[in-house]
Amino acid sequence: MIGNTPRNHKIIALFLLGFSLFYFFGSFRLKMGTLKIPGPGLIPVVLGGLLVFCSGFYLYRVVFQNRRESMGKEGSAEGDKNYRAIAGVLACTLIYPFILEPLKFIIATFAAGFIMLFLLRPRRPLSSGFLALSLAVGAFLVFSRLFGVALPSGFLENLIFRIGG
Amino acid sequence: MLEITQGLLGGFATALKPLYLYYALLGAVLGTITGVLPGLGPLGAMAILLSFTLSMDATGAMILFAGIYYGAMYGGSTTSILLNIPGEAASVVTCIDGYKMAQKGRGGAALTVAAVGSFIAGTISILGLMVVALFLSDIALRFGPAEFFAIGVCGLILLMRLSGGSLLQSFIMILVGMALGTVGVDFLAGTERFTFGNVELGQGIDFLPVAMGIFGIAEVLTTVAEKESLQTVQKVKMRDLLPTMKEWKRSIPAMFRGSFLGFAIGLVPGPSPVIATFVSYISEKKISKNPEEFGEGAIEAVAGPEAANNDAVGGAYVPLFALGIPFTPAMAMVLGALMLHGLTPGPNLIKEKSELFWAVIASMYIGNFMLIVLNLPLVNVFVSILRVPKNILMPVIVIICMIGVYSVNSSLLDLLMLALFGFIGYILRAVGFPVAPLILAMVIGPMIETSLRQALNITGGNIGDMIFRPICLTLYILASLTFAVPLIMKAIRKGKG
Repeated sequence: MIGNTPRNHKIIALFLLGFSLFYFFGSFRLKMGTLKIPGPGLIPVVLGGLLVFCSGFYLYRVVFQNRRESMGKEGSAEGDKNYRAIAGVLACTLIYPFILEPLKFIIATFAAGFIMLFLLRPRRPLSSGFLALSLAVGAFLVFSRLFGVALPSGFLENLIFRIGG
Repeated sequence: MLEITQGLLGGFATALKPLYLYYALLGAVLGTITGVLPGLGPLGAMAILLSFTLSMDATGAMILFAGIYYGAMYGGSTTSILLNIPGEAASVVTCIDGYKMAQKGRGGAALTVAAVGSFIAGTISILGLMVVALFLSDIALRFGPAEFFAIGVCGLILLMRLSGGSLLQSFIMILVGMALGTVGVDFLAGTERFTFGNVELGQGIDFLPVAMGIFGIAEVLTTVAEKESLQTVQKVKMRDLLPTMKEWKRSIPAMFRGSFLGFAIGLVPGPSPVIATFVSYISEKKISKNPEEFGEGAIEAVAGPEAANNDAVGGAYVPLFALGIPFTPAMAMVLGALMLHGLTPGPNLIKEKSELFWAVIASMYIGNFMLIVLNLPLVNVFVSILRVPKNILMPVIVIICMIGVYSVNSSLLDLLMLALFGFIGYILRAVGFPVAPLILAMVIGPMIETSLRQALNITGGNIGDMIFRPICLTLYILASLTFAVPLIMKAIRKGKG
């Protein structure tokens, strides 16, 4: 899946070229101005042009120049990686923004923490749950009380505030 | 001279206040911990703590960050020597001879030499920072937009050369970073660029979620991808910490050589502490009477590089304080912290906020002293941190990153950016793209654009007027040489081969 392989270089090169083209054509909507009075589009057009050229050249290099070298090398640098953990951590960071405000800080943080801990140490669900709860409550106390950060609060958060005085 | 003495005394008066001493201690301890932990590094720690500096004043934030940076350099050497694990990239060289010394039962002496070397280097770098930053800031007051544009462009060219990876990959990362820097309302014309009607994007892509994603989350993803391995942690006895007279004699000159070399390299854009250690190691080997001992436990090979990496830290502060330009990713974090407090670094900062500048200088000295007092007796405590399982530590880091990003603007978009750039950072690292140029270009890019547009306005669109100014021309020639000479040499070698 993810490793320093020729196939992945090609995917990255394609993605970079796509981004470059999108940025380059998007920058034409902005006013270029003149050299005397440069507009907001001047630098984006120059950057976009360079990006298209460089990413195009990079794609050419990884597709054509490394073709011989890549023969038989596909997957050679994949290694024995824990993709379940990577996917889990990524999923948690992606889902967290969407559950933070509806579920409020402690439940959302507990959920994200528990899922990550459970994925990384699946044989210990109970201790993962306890650790995640401690992490959520501890983080709330430290960041909200100590650092004065305004975190989304509901019943649980208010209760902790009342207990804490 | 009187100005320096007065400034420094004033700085000590500020930095010795209990609150700032606490920040210096906190930074030193946190820095040592992150230096000990493989992967996280000073940058990750700064990224995580950046948002929390909001609850401090600017001086406190700077003191904390300086402590983290120095502490990480100290901490990295500990695991390199005792476990052959470089806590961060600048400690890789220390592994070679430091670990060999530990295997021969001289690990304690290597730790002491590394700590004393770091202390001496820290002191020299602070002196250098004071003098060079003040001198440079005086000159920089006469700089116009054309000069700042030249400095920014040359900085990025040097960064491209030195950041590792292929030149093309580095250049693409610089362009992507600069492109990201153009998102938001263009403040010269008031035009929205690449915002897609999103109000939050109008303020631009915030540096914090990008940096924390690329350095914090991506590091966690890289770490969790690897299988857990248990570390056998060696104990160091207090009596073993003392080097012999012969070891002192061999290491002290190396410490001074490493210090001066490290400071000079620290002024150059790129991963200066890492480069400084390699250059110091090679030069120590070249001038050594016993080069055959290198790789087998030569104490100069620990003293020189350890001094060099600490001194490069001080050197890296010079362009930030004097010119307002961060030349390393860690300095971009420091810049971010200053900007969070409404301060714009540059030649005027040293004049207008001199108490902050001098307090940071003084706190660096205090931090260095704290590190040497704390780290040697507590070496076993810090090393035992490695016993905390990664599968507990990593989720904690992710949660801290998420809260850290959210706490600055209470923005869900920032959290999504964190996740997105965490993934992008992981992929880019996995395929060998250097990510530091992206972050630096994102920070320096808007400054380069503003300077260019202002310079073109001033010169009436005459590019020649922008180039053929003494400082600009010198910088362009130097950058061109840095770029071209290695390519020419390579071509010559190829031709001969």
